[in-house]
Amino acid sequence: METLVYIALFSPFVGSLFAGLLFGNSPRKMFTGWVASALIFVTFVSSVTLAYHVATVGAIHVQMMDWISAGDLSIPFGFVIDQISVTMMVVVSLVSTIVHIYATGYMDHDKSYNRFFAYLSAFVFAMMILIMSDNFAGLFIGWEGVGVCSWLLVGFWYHKADRPFEENPSISPSWAANEAFIMNRVADLGMLVGIFLIYWNIGSLQYDVVFDAMPHLADGILVSIAIALFIGAMGKSAQFPLHTWLTDAMEGPTPVSALIHAATMVTAGVFLVIRANPLYSLEAVHGVSMFIASLGTFVAFYAATMALIARDIKRIVALSTLSQLGYMFAAAGLGAYWIALFHLAAHAFFKALLFLGAGNVMHAMDDELDIFKMGGLKNAMRGSYIYMGIASFALAGLPIMAGFYSKDAIIETAFNEGTYIIWGMLVITAGMTAFYSFRQVFFSFHGEKRYEALGFHPHDMYKYVLIAMAPLAALAISFGWFMGYYKDFIYGLNETVQYEMSHTTHHWAWLLGSIVIALALTGIFLAWKKYAGEGENAWKRDEKFEASFIYKLLENQYYVPKFYDQFIVQPYTIASAKFWEFDKKTVDGTVDDLGKACLNIGDTSRGMQNGNLSSYLNWMGVGAMIIVIIAVISSVIG
Amino acid sequence: MLEIGVNHYLILSGILFSIGFMGVLRRKNLLMLFFATEVMLNAVNIAFAAIGNYYGDLSGQMFAFFVIAVAASEVAVGLGLLIVLYKKYGSLDLDVISSMKG
Amino acid sequence: MDTILSILIFFPAIAGFVGFGITKGSAKIYGIAVATIELILALLLWMQFDTSNAGMQFTEKVALIADFGISYNVGVDGISLFIVVMAALITLLGIILLRPDTKNMKNMIISLLFLEMTMVGVFLTLDAIIFYLFWELSLVPMLYIVGAWGGKDRVYAAVKFFLYTFAGSLVMLVGLLAMAYLYHQANGVWSFSILDWYTLPLTEDQQFWLFLAFFAGFAIKVPMFPFHTWLPWAHGQAPTIGSVILAAVLLKMGTYGFVRFSLPILPDASVTFIPLIMALSLIMVIYTAMIAFAQKDMKQVIAYSSVSHMGIIMLGVFAMNAEGLGGSVFLMLSHGIVSGALFMLVGVIYERTGTKLMSEFGGLAAVMPIYATVFGLMLMASVGLPLTIGFVGEFLVLLGFYKISAIGTILAGSTIIIGSVYMLALFKKSFFGPVRHEKNLALKDLDKRELTALIPLVLIVVWLGVYPKPILGPIDNSAKHILTQMEAKAINPATKETIILSKKEAE
Repeated sequence: METLVYIALFSPFVGSLFAGLLFGNSPRKMFTGWVASALIFVTFVSSVTLAYHVATVGAIHVQMMDWISAGDLSIPFGFVIDQISVTMMVVVSLVSTIVHIYATGYMDHDKSYNRFFAYLSAFVFAMMILIMSDNFAGLFIGWEGVGVCSWLLVGFWYHKADRPFEENPSISPSWAANEAFIMNRVADLGMLVGIFLIYWNIGSLQYDVVFDAMPHLADGILVSIAIALFIGAMGKSAQFPLHTWLTDAMEGPTPVSALIHAATMVTAGVFLVIRANPLYSLEAVHGVSMFIASLGTFVAFYAATMALIARDIKRIVALSTLSQLGYMFAAAGLGAYWIALFHLAAHAFFKALLFLGAGNVMHAMDDELDIFKMGGLKNAMRGSYIYMGIASFALAGLPIMAGFYSKDAIIETAFNEGTYIIWGMLVITAGMTAFYSFRQVFFSFHGEKRYEALGFHPHDMYKYVLIAMAPLAALAISFGWFMGYYKDFIYGLNETVQYEMSHTTHHWAWLLGSIVIALALTGIFLAWKKYAGEGENAWKRDEKFEASFIYKLLENQYYVPKFYDQFIVQPYTIASAKFWEFDKKTVDGTVDDLGKACLNIGDTSRGMQNGNLSSYLNWMGVGAMIIVIIAVISSVIG
Repeated sequence: MLEIGVNHYLILSGILFSIGFMGVLRRKNLLMLFFATEVMLNAVNIAFAAIGNYYGDLSGQMFAFFVIAVAASEVAVGLGLLIVLYKKYGSLDLDVISSMKG
Repeated sequence: MDTILSILIFFPAIAGFVGFGITKGSAKIYGIAVATIELILALLLWMQFDTSNAGMQFTEKVALIADFGISYNVGVDGISLFIVVMAALITLLGIILLRPDTKNMKNMIISLLFLEMTMVGVFLTLDAIIFYLFWELSLVPMLYIVGAWGGKDRVYAAVKFFLYTFAGSLVMLVGLLAMAYLYHQANGVWSFSILDWYTLPLTEDQQFWLFLAFFAGFAIKVPMFPFHTWLPWAHGQAPTIGSVILAAVLLKMGTYGFVRFSLPILPDASVTFIPLIMALSLIMVIYTAMIAFAQKDMKQVIAYSSVSHMGIIMLGVFAMNAEGLGGSVFLMLSHGIVSGALFMLVGVIYERTGTKLMSEFGGLAAVMPIYATVFGLMLMASVGLPLTIGFVGEFLVLLGFYKISAIGTILAGSTIIIGSVYMLALFKKSFFGPVRHEKNLALKDLDKRELTALIPLVLIVVWLGVYPKPILGPIDNSAKHILTQMEAKAINPATKETIILSKKEAE
């Protein structure tokens, strides 16, 4: 089994090296994509085998070698395969495999095709490290590793020029990449502080040691650790106020958005909270957990409102990702860790499907993103239409779909915990989710063929790509059916991960579910009414509404990017320039002035050296007098 | 009747020294500078002799003799140099013979 | 092999003298040959080094002026060993990278070889006077390199560099002499041996003033804020090789001085001065990182980033625990490798275009992909990405310093944010976006000579990032050794409390 762990971990790395080192600079070679995909598939197969092993035998813990050891600190490269990590492994490797295959079709005209696969596989490798590590430092390796891969992939089309914010809110791929990296680093600092706190209070960074020692720590320290780690999680999972990078990251190629910015990397924060469930379920950090739940709920609502009016197809999906991450945090904050993890997996499947479908649309529309320019694509792109429909149904949480089980469980949890405000907001958000996801579907696939006037000739994706997407569609439909099995599986981990609804909640479950379904159906119906029709007024833009304050607020993402620009970026730039000025003028100026002073003193006193013995004697006299005076004074004082 | 004690000698010595010192500072003629330094040397000699006498110690006077001997030889050498300088510049005025202006 | 240290120190100098007789054409080959032999010697030293011994090894002692206790005394421990290896490596790679058409190649090679002697000498010597000798001697070849091969304001920069550091080291000399005097008073014999000084008890008052004297010399060399302004000038005007060696090795002399002198000799004062050092270092970290962001010249960005990173190193030195101290020594090495490589990379583009202004570039990633890849890797190492060499040291330093001050660590930790701000801004301006100037489309990617110089650094960056143990182990041993000495020597109980030998013991 140990070998299998290493195979699962390193085969993406091999794929990355194969594509990057051997063919990184050579012209496009289709087989690099296939080799990389095959190697990711190997990871998937190993992950599934490992999952079976974990379910039947138990967790695996391996240590490869030492990494850093200094002082009392000793960090190994160690990996733990338990219920949490193996769930993530299966999800990540499955979605990665499909996205890799998808990308062979999607990127086949790009001249940097080989480079793309090098990055994409490297990302999977980093993600695997993040998931599998048995200590916080190892987690941090993966944490930063996925950050860099995300930087490389968001900025993949680095040659594009910057455009002003009004034209393109994400300015340019390279700008968005830098934004993502830097914003994540802000959070990483919090994470580092958490690691330091853990080290100095417990003396180890190994999960098992740390979590065993946690109950014995003082409350204040526990709270600090919980806050610091959650700040780290906020960055990766793009929680408010560190969320702006996620929508801008849509500048990257769509497979990247599907894999990194929907299914896997952004869930790392949720994963961290779930991984640290022994910490977050402690009584002492209850406040922090409640904050996590509240923030998650807020973000779920906040992102959904922005998605209501977004026109960029990828932004809509990105905002829905943000919103769903909020759901996951809400569940994790309320203590239902396994439900959060289950929703994470379900979301990964249907969101990847949604993104890949959106990618098909973009591909067909020559990278056009504005849904107002699409419409009536359902005939030209039947396969993508069906997939997008399935994914949207799953996202909206309609019965028998995956989202129905996982999202409903989260909403039920909120009810069960008696946090009715959270419950209410989550229910409303569910309705909005249904509306905006179907708005997007109807806009692009139904109604009039607006694209014809614009000269597009859409065609569906390659057959094999559509077939490769089938597993995702199947899981988006059926994943929820396995919720019971999954519960049994993950309950084997520990006690804190377990969560049961109370009797009352069970009793009312049918009503709660009906409310959500009713709202979702209402949302879909509204979207249908407004955007699916044909004819003059069916999709006309409401100019009055677009001039309103609310629309402006949502369109400008609540002015958060503007705020960052005005109050952080610009002051920082100005302060930098001022500091430079200060450094040159004052700090260096003082040094130069000292030098000049020496020069001036020399220059002035050079007058003494006039060659006239008489004046020399005068100076000697002055000197003698001074010495005498000093001698007298010192003898008087002394 | 005023007893002439060591203080008087020292005051005389101080006055002489100051006169010589002022001469060194103010005079421009090298020869005059020589005289002024001689005056200063002799002022010191008086002080040596007076203090030597006061302490009943002969080394003060011994020292004065040394000073006189050194002063004599210095004058001998110095005057020789003065003559050379005079031959070269035709003057002993310090303002005229300054050549080491920095 | 008992005299390997002396061979290491004087071989380059002797070879430099012989170099006067070499023809101009073969000067570079000669330089490469000598530097290679020196590197092999350094590696040999490493192989023979006993990693379990934390104290001085391979010591040699020859009395020079016995009456004053001045002797030629050399030795190596885990801290100096790797800096010497790095100095030899960087010199070799720097010489390889020299353009074959450099004017006065022979003079350049000879100065570099002399410089190598002084660098190796500073790190290996255990006698304060000899240390001072090498310390000052190192200025001379550097002065010449900047002054003769530099840019437009080279003379101003060179003189500034010389006078500034010289002024500081004179104060340090006073401190060294005072130290010897105190030793004489206590023991009745003169000694300039650092090892002897380690055993000399000093009152807190004496330590205070001696610390200030040493501080003057070391802080200017580091360079600590506000004594850093010579560095941008020197880097701005120096030729590539000068910047590489200056950043990689010469700056480390300052931090090494703190580790070798201030900490073990003056433990109480070192603890007393932590707040001051912390304040200055934090200013260095944040303020210079912001200045780096404002720069228009690529090389200045890296010059200021050097100052910023040296701030982190200083924090580690004064962390008073093995994690921080070991981390800061490791960071000295990693910063040497990474900043050396970055200066080389800037030199590469400067040779091709004759400019270092970022506004002249843009879109280079498409034109020079290998160059961009190497630059990107070094950039990531510079911002401290895990599994590159930059992370290990930075992580350990911040971890160690957390014990001293949580707030200070959080402020210093902002380096991972603002460090990536200026580095990524640099990368975006120069490598991303469309190609702004037609003429840049014809730029050639790295050639064989440049790859030979850079690939070893790339390999080291990855190797030591993934597996730092071979280097971190001996460093850690020696760091613990120094801390043990400090604790034994400290007279103030508060100092003993601040110094943490092992957390397990403390509990």
